[in-house]
Amino acid sequence: MKDLVRQKLSIHVEIMDLLNEQIKKEAHSSSIYLAMASWCDHNALDYSAEFFYEQSLEEREHMMKIFRFINDNGGTAYSPEVSTINHEYNSLEEIFETALDQEIKITKSIHNIVFQCRKLQDLTTENFLQWFVHEQMEEEQTIRRALELFDLMGSEGLALKLLDERIPHIRKK
Amino acid sequence: MTVLFESQFFTSYQAEKGRYFIFDFNHKMIKLSFCQLLAFRQKVKEIDLEKHFTGENEHGMEILLLCNREHMFIFNTLEVIDLKQFVKGTFAMLELNSLVY
Repeated sequence: MKDLVRQKLSIHVEIMDLLNEQIKKEAHSSSIYLAMASWCDHNALDYSAEFFYEQSLEEREHMMKIFRFINDNGGTAYSPEVSTINHEYNSLEEIFETALDQEIKITKSIHNIVFQCRKLQDLTTENFLQWFVHEQMEEEQTIRRALELFDLMGSEGLALKLLDERIPHIRKK
Repeated sequence: MTVLFESQFFTSYQAEKGRYFIFDFNHKMIKLSFCQLLAFRQKVKEIDLEKHFTGENEHGMEILLLCNREHMFIFNTLEVIDLKQFVKGTFAMLELNSLVY
């Protein structure tokens, strides 16, 4: 019997499911960062707001990259639903801590798909995900640098304003 | 046609010529492209069987629209349980075929 699935689909069907789950996670991340940008905007933390607007856009780009990968390889990508986005935060420090937790969750999820790719011998997707493995390492480093600023400068009064102004420089050039 | 998988109520086939699959729902046979097969699999996967037993799905019925709304099916709880097995079995056979092909 000819292998119709392989003729139509270049990736493993179970990996396609995991990638669709990842699309949901990236969309969720994008929305979380948008909520954080909004909080920063309302609290006059303009540079942090800009940082999170950019983060939100990046997460959406990640989502689109996976979305196109699935469809380009013969699978079906599903447009994600996003719900339960928290808009309540106590401080900018809490926002960056939450952002780091979020990035770690995404990293773990990407690593899990890579492990599954190895198990199911889906080299196409494993190779595609290497970019994400590297990207996640950089994302974690960036947020970690922001948290180091809190340790260095504190988070009250003028220190918070000065810290906010340094946020655009935490991204690795 | 080659039989892929047979469950209590349903049977799946792969066409010898052409690139499509046939699902026999006993009273009705439908032809599916691979893309439609993936969509069917997703719809069956999304059915929450638990709701049939917690009372959330009061009537114990599921309505599935397939192949871009060309076909409509209504399944009861027993058929849904079988349908989930049927989809798993069909894809397991397809994977097995990929391994030996």
